[in-house]
Amino acid sequence: MALKVLPLWTLYGLTQGKATTRWRGEGDEPGQRGLFGMPRLDPGKCQDACRTCAQVCLPQAIRVAAGPGGGRVSVDYGRCVACQLCVDACPTGAFSSSSDWAFGSRTREDLVWAQAAASADGTGLKREIRRVFGRSLHIRHVDAGSCNGCESELQALNNPYYNLHRFGVFFTASPRFADLLLVTGPVTYAMRGPLREAYAAMPDPRFVLAAGTCAVSGGTNGGGYSCGTGLDGVLPVDLYLPGCPPNPPAIIHALLMLLQRMPQRVSGGQIAPNGARRGDSRA
Amino acid sequence: MSASQREVTLQDLTTQALPGRCRAALDAGARMQFMYAWFPEDTGTPELRYVLHPGSGSAPHVWRCRPQSDCAPSLAASAPLLSWYERETTDLCGLLFREQPLPQPLVLLPGTASDRPPLMPGPAPFVRYAPAPHQLPAIAGAAPEDVQTMPFGPVRADVAESTQLIFYYIGEAILHYHPQLFFKHRGMEKRFEGIEPGLGPVLAERVSGVGGVAHALAYCHAVESAARCEVPRRAAWLRVLLAELERLYNHLHYLGYLCHTTTLKVGEAQGKYLEELAKQANCRVSGSRLLRGLLVPGGVRREPALGELADDLMQIERRFQRYAELLSATNSHLDRLITTGVLGRQLAFDQGATGPVERASGIERDSRRDQPYGAYAELPLHVAIHDGCDAQARQQVRIAEITHSITLIRAVLEGLPEGPLRSECRPPALCEGLGWAETPRGTAYYAIHIGSDGRLSRVKIKSPSFSNWRVFPYTVHDTNMMDYAINEASFGLAVAGCDR
Amino acid sequence: MPELLRIVFWSWLAGAVCALAGLTVIARGLIALGAAAGMWASFAAVAHGTAVLSLPISLIGQKVRLHDAPEALWFIGFGLLPAALAVALGTPIGRARAGWLFGAALSLIGALGVFAVQNAYAFLIAWEMMSLGGAVMILSEHTRPDAGRRTLYMLGLLEVGAVAILLALLLLSRHAGDSVAFERFGRDADTLSAGTRIAVGLLALAGFGAKLGLLPFYEWFPGAYGSGSGATGAILSGVVLNAGFFALSRTLIDWLASGGGEYVLGILVTSVGALTSILAALYAFQQDDWRRLLAFSTAENAGIAVTTLGASLLFRAGGEPALAGLAWTVAVLHLSGHSLAKGGLFLSADGVYAAGGSYRLAQRGWLRSARIIFGLGALFAAMSLAAMPPQIGFVTEWFTFQTLFQGFHLASLGGRLTLALAGAGLALTAAVAFATFIKAFGIGLLGDGHGPRAPRIALRYEAAVLLLGLAVLGAAVGMPLWLHALQSADVAHFGVNAARAMTSGWLLVPLTDTFAFISPSLLILVMPLLAVLPLLLLLNGRRHAVRRAPVWYGGLREDPERSATTSLTFSNAMRTFYSFIYRPTLDTAREHRAVAYFIHKLEFGHDVADVFGPVLFDPVRRTVWRLAGRLRALQSGDLNFYLGLIGALLVVILALTLR
Repeated sequence: MALKVLPLWTLYGLTQGKATTRWRGEGDEPGQRGLFGMPRLDPGKCQDACRTCAQVCLPQAIRVAAGPGGGRVSVDYGRCVACQLCVDACPTGAFSSSSDWAFGSRTREDLVWAQAAASADGTGLKREIRRVFGRSLHIRHVDAGSCNGCESELQALNNPYYNLHRFGVFFTASPRFADLLLVTGPVTYAMRGPLREAYAAMPDPRFVLAAGTCAVSGGTNGGGYSCGTGLDGVLPVDLYLPGCPPNPPAIIHALLMLLQRMPQRVSGGQIAPNGARRGDSRA
Repeated sequence: MSASQREVTLQDLTTQALPGRCRAALDAGARMQFMYAWFPEDTGTPELRYVLHPGSGSAPHVWRCRPQSDCAPSLAASAPLLSWYERETTDLCGLLFREQPLPQPLVLLPGTASDRPPLMPGPAPFVRYAPAPHQLPAIAGAAPEDVQTMPFGPVRADVAESTQLIFYYIGEAILHYHPQLFFKHRGMEKRFEGIEPGLGPVLAERVSGVGGVAHALAYCHAVESAARCEVPRRAAWLRVLLAELERLYNHLHYLGYLCHTTTLKVGEAQGKYLEELAKQANCRVSGSRLLRGLLVPGGVRREPALGELADDLMQIERRFQRYAELLSATNSHLDRLITTGVLGRQLAFDQGATGPVERASGIERDSRRDQPYGAYAELPLHVAIHDGCDAQARQQVRIAEITHSITLIRAVLEGLPEGPLRSECRPPALCEGLGWAETPRGTAYYAIHIGSDGRLSRVKIKSPSFSNWRVFPYTVHDTNMMDYAINEASFGLAVAGCDR
Repeated sequence: MPELLRIVFWSWLAGAVCALAGLTVIARGLIALGAAAGMWASFAAVAHGTAVLSLPISLIGQKVRLHDAPEALWFIGFGLLPAALAVALGTPIGRARAGWLFGAALSLIGALGVFAVQNAYAFLIAWEMMSLGGAVMILSEHTRPDAGRRTLYMLGLLEVGAVAILLALLLLSRHAGDSVAFERFGRDADTLSAGTRIAVGLLALAGFGAKLGLLPFYEWFPGAYGSGSGATGAILSGVVLNAGFFALSRTLIDWLASGGGEYVLGILVTSVGALTSILAALYAFQQDDWRRLLAFSTAENAGIAVTTLGASLLFRAGGEPALAGLAWTVAVLHLSGHSLAKGGLFLSADGVYAAGGSYRLAQRGWLRSARIIFGLGALFAAMSLAAMPPQIGFVTEWFTFQTLFQGFHLASLGGRLTLALAGAGLALTAAVAFATFIKAFGIGLLGDGHGPRAPRIALRYEAAVLLLGLAVLGAAVGMPLWLHALQSADVAHFGVNAARAMTSGWLLVPLTDTFAFISPSLLILVMPLLAVLPLLLLLNGRRHAVRRAPVWYGGLREDPERSATTSLTFSNAMRTFYSFIYRPTLDTAREHRAVAYFIHKLEFGHDVADVFGPVLFDPVRRTVWRLAGRLRALQSGDLNFYLGLIGALLVVILALTLR
């Protein structure tokens, strides 16, 4: 039997049930099981004079300085594409796979691994954002040369599972109505101009989210004759979200973070286990 | 036995012989695939490579040609699809082609100045860019001033890849259409240069994000053919599984997006929901929603987690069957698809349409079957074709391919052989390899050259979207604006792979 | 006031003579002043009306006397305002100003005659003068190489019409006992047979319809107007059109009186009017030349007036004299308001042409460089033709619909159905006309192509357009006052004072205020209040710093001139939708290199087909040519042959006279 009439699609839709999941906001959103996030570093396990991880790290997120032990290893998660090659290559297990994906950060520094770091918090910003936007946000997305992976995940935000609209967040066609410029890609030479035009066309107050490792640092694809290395130096960035690509809950987390509805979870390149920032939990 | 290891025939030709050979080969039923230039280390002078299939089921032939004084005859008149490759070669390698019909920059946008050809070995090129008007056809005749030039993009509505669409518009009717691509040109081919062949998949997965598995697979095939290494049987089977999972989520996305353009809202939601289910299954299998990080030259990096896949697949298939039935029988949806974006067989062949787009124009070609690689020869592979040539045909081909992919995945799950996952694969210095794989959008080719240091010295990427974007505009001329979005969606084009 | 009208006549005559003598400045002054005086005299006289004025001329023994009915004065007054301005400004096409002025004077004298003369001979001569004057104006301007052919085509069609008028007058004259005096025509009209009534009505419809641009004659309009200037258009669409309608209305309402066949005639007239307005509106929308667009729109408005005239006949036949009076008054109001607004836009087009050298509708940012008075005047005129409140066009179209809606008062199904269908047709017309004038004003004046700055429009054009724009507004706002002037006419024609029943205080009502009402007079007071909110927002916005960003074109700075909406992109969707009427043609040729895929040049052209040209006029024209070819045998060039012909002719005459 063929359904040929349009209204019966509505019935069909209803019989499919509700797909949207509850937003738990604790970094373990449903549907993300098995996902590899940024690899964790345990510098205590590092061998002396070992550079294996740095050699396999194509985007040069891992740098090894001269000297003994793990203290000389630095990881910039803003460059990490979560390829897990360091985990595969590390002979001692100093790098281990994790599901740490909620890597949205207000500062670039918080994405660099550090033993202890405190970051500025945005309480001052909070009241301003609430006053201007209420709880809603309109996004203009600009693809500045991404591989289409980030777009694939951004498009997924509007599927019934994540249903971005329930957060009051919408994509808009014209930058004239946008509060947030969401940029993906390492910024190619040809997209630098259009990107700046889009930013110029937005009314104040306006924010910029660098989504995906490419937009944060150039990642594997940045540099070379036709690419920049992310948004730094092109536009003032309010929020960095590395990930290759960032999965939809990571993007949602970053957006809610921007609206001051979620706390930043990463600090010093590490995710606080209980959902709050490490600095907060200490205090 | 995988086809990557099948011998690729290499022939030397002089520039004078090229046009004649090209015509003779085409008359004999050959199909030109792509062309590129590279700078061998020993001579330093550029060398041209033409890749073609003499017959539908034959291994590729490669013509090698050393142009004199950086100039070669254009083959665009007999093989129109080569036109873009020639223009690209002019942009990136500095070679000129005599009698090229439209000798304009392609990959580098108008207004771009590079101090040296970007792919030429040596110091890094410096690129300057001041936007200049696009070189579009002139308008003449009785009423040229009545034609409106309507540009969209490169920043377009919604979440879309950056590309500028320029219409010659006269009110609903489109006279002429020019997609100005390559805003996203990232110089990916240059990025490969100088890296270890073993790290290449990380880059290849990021050439076209949603075709990452197939791109990495084509790359791995190329390296394996250069290194003449065998892929363990279990790895070959797992690669089929990954490639078909990729096809699955891409085609489900395609259906959801197609419904978006025909404003079938529930259909859109359902298609995107099925895509999400497929991506979550990917995530459980590989740790990456886009199936990244598993492929490596010589095999696969680690054992995927296949425990839940059979159940996930069943859930997707059950929902999909009903969904596909509805899509194939809803008049309001089909009315918008039938006769929209007609791509004739000759046009599809001349301009080198590939993948479901080509198969929906009645051309039965699929590199999984015709130039088989990996484990496809051992598995129940069906090639879906349709001779409708329109958007509906393209939808039906994709629907059929989803079913076939599920069958393939299930066959892999049932018959997965035991054994090692990976074999040693290090190509020797100064060798080359050609690899291909059928992405969800058509055939991708990688041609690699290894330098004297054992690292990659040149990688040419031929992505399917590069071919399909060239075909697409001819289906837009003389159509209506309200059909445009549907037509574009029915082609399922990706920009990133085309722009590289 | 008759004396003043006499002055008007003489000043026009003197103007015509001066124009022939090449004294263009004096001629222009005389004709324009005459027109202004004529307008003044008519408006002054319309209140008291009916003075009789004899001119010291006689035609075939008949003394020419002017006898002005109130509606004639009303029509003259409204028609002469744009005419006076058009003549004062003169044609912007420089070659033959003298010839144009002569043509204008001829037209105006002819039109005055059509309104005023009281016998058939004088009427026919006046009618021919009016037609000839229009042709002289267009021919003297000669903007296109084929203008002559188009003007001859127009004259040809008008002559077909003139023959129909002649026949109608002959029939009426025979019924009136072979009298050619118009006062005799209406006297025993109720004794006309149904057949004669319908025949005379149809002949009049065809004859005067040729001038009004009724079906199928509207097709001469664009060709003729399109080769003249806006000033010509202002005169032809103003006082000349009014004269044509006046003559038609006089024939149908006065000379045919009520009786058998009126019902059928009413249905026919209504249908022809409604169909004309639909077709003309559809074609107007497709034009990209100011004059052609306005010309089609003129035919459309004449169609609307004729539709209500037909409704008036139907109401009268159905025993509803009050509604008949309403319908007739509405027709008069509609055309008089139309002549003001149309004159305003024709003169706007002339201003554009004088400054930029082209009548093409294209975005050039005219308003950006013009003074605000020009924009205001043109806006009011365009609003009126688009039937937007509170302008006169809105008032009259509203009245038109209110009249047609009252078709349910009719007893006969045919009448009801005709009026309902006509109402639906006019609704389509109104929608298309709305889009048409959005296009004309939007693309032709407001649109800013960002190209080279448009030259400044001359102040005299701007002032004239403002004057007409204000007249358009004034006519609407003061309507409750002005309507008094038509009361006596209504009583004279229908025995009911419909005009008085059309006002209720400052409200305008279709005879009764329980049905519907509007009030432009009050609206003009309330409308500024609507502007308060945007003004407040604007003031509030001043508090924030303003940052200006370029127009968003998807991230690139495009060439806005090439990306601007063209006249065709605005109208092509409609062209596709109504392709069964337009039968559009698009010619796209692609030039390529090597193989067809490498396109480097596009050749583009487009057109819409006429409805009647190919099926009606072209065969007739071909037949005439064929006949002319046969008759050429008479022109042998042999003197003896000619003498033989003359001899034969004499024999025939002698035979006829000696019978």
